[in-house]
Order: sequence, then structure tokens, then C-alpha cells
Amino acid sequence: MMNLLPSPLILAALVKIGLLVGGLMTAAAYLVLLERWIAAWVQDRRGPNRVGIPLTKIRLFGLGQPLADGLKIILKEDFTPSHVDRVLYNTAPLVILAASLAIFASIPFGSVLPPLGIPGLPDPVPFLVAPGLDVGVLWVFALSSIAVYGVLLGGWASNNKYGFIGGLRSSAQLVAYEIPLGLGLLGVVLAAGSLRLDMIINAQAETGIWYVFAQPLGFIVFMVASFAEAARLPFDLPEAEQELVGGYHTEYSGIKLLLFLVAEFLHMITAAFLIVIMFLGGWHLWGVTGSSQDIGWIQALLRFAILSAKILGVIVFFMLVRWSWPRFRFDQLMSLAWKVMLPLGLVNLVTVAAVEEYRPQLENLLGPGIATAVAIAIPWLACLVGWVGSGILTPSESDNSPVRTHGNHGNHGNHGPFDVERELGPHAPPANELAGSR
Amino acid sequence: MDQVSVAPAGMLLAGSVTALAAALWLLLPKALDTPGTRRLGALLGAIAILGFAATGRTLGCLGADAVFLVVAGVAVVSGLATIVTRSPVYAAIWFALTLAGVSGVLLVLGAQFLGVATIVVYAGAILVMFLFVLMLAQPSGMASYDRVSSEPLLAAVSGAVLLGLLTLSVGRLSASAPPACCAMPSRAQAAAEAVRPQTATPSQAAPQNQMTDADEVARLGAELFGRHLFAVEVAGLLLLVALVGAIAVVSRAEAADGDQGRSRR
Repeated sequence: MMNLLPSPLILAALVKIGLLVGGLMTAAAYLVLLERWIAAWVQDRRGPNRVGIPLTKIRLFGLGQPLADGLKIILKEDFTPSHVDRVLYNTAPLVILAASLAIFASIPFGSVLPPLGIPGLPDPVPFLVAPGLDVGVLWVFALSSIAVYGVLLGGWASNNKYGFIGGLRSSAQLVAYEIPLGLGLLGVVLAAGSLRLDMIINAQAETGIWYVFAQPLGFIVFMVASFAEAARLPFDLPEAEQELVGGYHTEYSGIKLLLFLVAEFLHMITAAFLIVIMFLGGWHLWGVTGSSQDIGWIQALLRFAILSAKILGVIVFFMLVRWSWPRFRFDQLMSLAWKVMLPLGLVNLVTVAAVEEYRPQLENLLGPGIATAVAIAIPWLACLVGWVGSGILTPSESDNSPVRTHGNHGNHGNHGPFDVERELGPHAPPANELAGSR
Repeated sequence: MDQVSVAPAGMLLAGSVTALAAALWLLLPKALDTPGTRRLGALLGAIAILGFAATGRTLGCLGADAVFLVVAGVAVVSGLATIVTRSPVYAAIWFALTLAGVSGVLLVLGAQFLGVATIVVYAGAILVMFLFVLMLAQPSGMASYDRVSSEPLLAAVSGAVLLGLLTLSVGRLSASAPPACCAMPSRAQAAAEAVRPQTATPSQAAPQNQMTDADEVARLGAELFGRHLFAVEVAGLLLLVALVGAIAVVSRAEAADGDQGRSRR
């Protein structure tokens, strides 16, 4: 029974894993270069443009920079401080990188290949490592919650207060923003009727209506939550350089630091993949790619290219946001998660559920064209109402002035009459909340 | 039932239960531990696990799948490590590994949703909260009564006996009706074939085993919200009540804090 040669199915999976890991690692390296270029462009300077082909004078716009950076960080001394918990200190980077890579098992990176005709390999071959996994989105969630362990353990094992605070902040943030993330995603799952990401793309390709148009509020909630999950700049408190040195990876150096940094970039790439696949139509583009599963080579490569281009676009957006927004304070971060994003996510979910429930009746009543228009108009209305409502109900807290514990009662606009809550430090809920609950 | 073939299995089971009890007692944190006793305990524990595995084999229901054995082994060994390790943070990490093993077992058995949900709910949310608190409350030196388990002997014996009884009853069940236990996956597969629509798309025509069942979540959802709708709704209501209660408790505590702070001034 036992066959020594692996079956074509397993071979195909191994080839896909190899391509995906190689592609992701290269992409992560070059995205670092892109990020530095964009930073330079935003700040009106030149950025890395020297390193080209080694031992020649050819510069190639600095395209050799990732190689040089990688070599440098790998060859650096891997110094382990004496005060760390060695086992967990060494495990943490491995956990976070393994989890961040394993996420991609259920994320499609293209459509399907045209029939190859290899015996034992079912055609068409999907651009997906684990095509039969029926819980694709949940798999992404599960693995990204495993990645939290890497951060938390790295921070704790470092036995360093900056590292520890970074780890705590990070885990609190990730756990809090998982909820709006899940709510944004549930709307899409409800509309597509499947947890599989390839099926979600197919559903958008068949109707031609990307979910960003059908569920704008869900898109906003999901986008903000995925910024927080990736710990990108408005939400980069876990490693805020100005206050925490490097956050949870303060004590790491050499290749272990590299693993952490790569994992962070992989988080951003994952977030971009999810945003594109769930809200921006995946490989679908009107008039260019159809929705058929029976395609030729050109179409297959075109779909791959469109998906990659969209992902690159989202990543560039991530990088531009980094230089456009200041960092949140921790209480602002939490109140955004629980008081703004969570209710908005619920509003979106209820709207989508209602629209999907009554869509057949609408189609009977109004005809398919008008029914689709109504089904799009209602979520936009909900988006407007939710946006304005959250703006009115949760006034922005932009006062970053130092905490005062004496005098000046009631002088700060929204701090309320008590200043005792302010003594609890930045983690305490804002004063007007407590005043209101009395 | 064939008495002759069960008797050695019973002996084996009794032996493994004794070994497990002794191993647990030796391994659990006590005041007078030396590296020697812990090493002996680890050895006995390994023997006990092998004994239980052999018992399961004799009694007739243990998957021979290599992947299953690996993930089950991870779950059992890290579960053991969870209760015998002294550091609370390490115990939590071992428990996370146990959950990963259990999730692997569920995935191998074809319960995709349960497997992934175990990770999301337990490892991703609950255990992270545990770790959070443990790390915040990490004492530099633990008190003497925190270093030892309170009833090592009773705990070890009762745990081992419970495990033995469970093994025995599962073995009896499988011995009385061998096909019901061991033919379950293929029956589930047959049911899946019956449920699956005949007009399968090419991608669904792939050779399916129970690990890659395309309708798993849909069928689970139909079951939950069909036959078990009442239970699901009651559980949801219960959770809502607990949530509201937690908020009420917290806000009262904070109000009391605030009053105290004001009177202090």
C-alpha cells in the first residue's frame, strides 16, 4: 500500500509551498526597500539608491539593498543577554514566523491553472496550498492568534521592561481588534455563503460587485482592524520607538530580530491579501477577467497579475498611511476598538443579514436590476448613518496634554468634573464615561 | 465477548494505571523533589503512555495513522507537562501545545471546524488572557505553598483510575460493536457522498478524504441551527447574561473606587 514516491497531489502542494514561501520572503525583502523609498519620497529625500550589483559600479536604483541588508543582519552577532529566559527567548521568533507563514496555507494567490493533464492530479490546479480546507478564513484567524504568542513570549522572555510592556500592549491590542476584524469578515462570509477565500472571490467575480461596494461599512471596519492587527503606524504602540525602544524585540539581535521583522511584514502582506480577496474582488477586474473556472494560460497569468497588483496597491496605501497619521494613545486605541469599531461592525452585520434575507423578495417585487441597486443603497445608507452616529456619540479625544492631578477642575473640555480617574493613568477609561455611569 | 483475549488487556490496563499513578505522583511538584525522582517519574510516565497505547490497540480501537499518533502524542505529553511544571508561564505554554495537539487530532479525524475553533477560542483568546495575567502577576519568588501541588497522591491516583476506567469503557464499547467505532470515518464519508450534490464542479471532484470535506461547515451549521437550535440559543442567552453581569460588576467596582478616591481627597 505504502508508496515511496509522494503522490502528485502532495508534490503539487510542496511545489506551491516552495513558490509561496520563496515569493513571500523575496516580497518581504523588497517591500522593505519600497517602504524606505516611499518614506524618502514622503520626506522629500532620496532614500536608498546606491547598492547595485556587487563588485561593479552598476547601481540599478538601489535594487541590491535588500540583499545587503539581509546579509548584514544575518552575519551580525547573535547576542543573547544573560538575563533572558533562554528557552522561550529562542522559541518566540520561531513561533511567530512559523505561524505567519502557515497562514498562507488557506489564502489563494491567484485563480486556477489551465488543465495540466498530470495523472493523479485533479484539474484545474488552484493557486492555493490547501484547496479543500473548508474553514479557510477561520484558519487565518487561528494562525494569527497563534502569532500573538510569539510577541507575548518574546516580550516576557526578554526580561526587560520595554520588551514586556511592548508584549502586553501588543497582545491587548491584537485581542481587542480581533473582534471588529471578525465582524467585518462575517458580513462577507454571510454574503458569499462560504468560509473559503477562493469561493469568496468567485462570488464577487460572478456578480461583478466587489464587497467594498456592497458593504462599505464592513470594509472600513475590516481595514482599520487589519491595520491594528498588523501593528502598522496609527496602531504601532507595541513597538513605539520613541517610548519603548523596540517593544517586544528590544533584546533581540541578528537573525532572531530578522525573523521578528519578517513576520511583521508578513502580517502586513496577509492583511493586504485579505483586504483584496474579501473586499476588492481578488483577481477579478471588470472586462478583463471573467468568472469562469475554465481558462487558458494567458487568463491564468493575468488573474495572478491583477491580484498581485491590487495587493501591491494596498501595501503602498499601508506605507503611505504610516507617514500620514500620528500614533494613537493607548486609551484612544481601546476606545476606538470597543466604542466605535465594534458597534459599526455590528451595524454592518445586521444590515448585511437583513439585505441578504430579503433579497429574494425584493427581486420578486422590483425585478433583479432595481433589487441589486436597493441592496447596494441600503448598506451605503447604513454606512452614512453609522459614520455620523459614531461621530456624534463618541467625540474624538484629541487632548494629549500631560495629566494634571491638582486644581483646574472642569477646565478641560471633556474630562468631566473628576480628575481622580486621570490618576489611574492612561489605561483608565476617560473621565466622561465614568461620570456618565453614575 | 471473548474472555481469554480480554484478560491480558485487563492486566496491561491495570499495569498502565499503576504506572501512571506512580509517575504522576513522582512528577507533581512536591516539597522533597530531587532530579532523580522526577527522572524516574518521567520514565514511568513514558511506560504508562506506551501501556495505554498498547491497551487501546488490544481493545481494538486506535488509529494506526502516523499523523494521528504524532498529534495525539504531542497532546498527551504536553498535557502531562502542563500539570507537572513549576513555572505558571511554562504551564500555560504547555497547555497551548496541548490545545494544538487536540486541534490536530480533531483535524485528522475530519472535524475541521472544531479543530480550528479550538485554536481560535482556547489558544487565541482564553489562554492569551491567562498568559497576560500570569505575566503581570509573575512573582519573583513564589511562596512555599505555591511551589507544591496540594494533594499529589490523591490527584495522581484518582486521575489515573479515571483514565483507566474511561479506556476500559471505550474498549468495551468498541469490543461489543467493532464496526461502529472503527468504521465511523467511512460511514461519515458515505453520508458526505450522499449529501454532496451530484453536479460537482471540477475542483470538488478531487479525491476527497474526510480532512478535505467541502461541505463540512455547511453541514455543521445546518445541524447546529436545525436540531440543536434551542441549545444554541440558550447558550447564547447565557453568554449574554454573563457579559452584562461582568460589565455590571466592573462598573460597580469602579464606582466604588471613584468614591473612595474622592473621599480620600
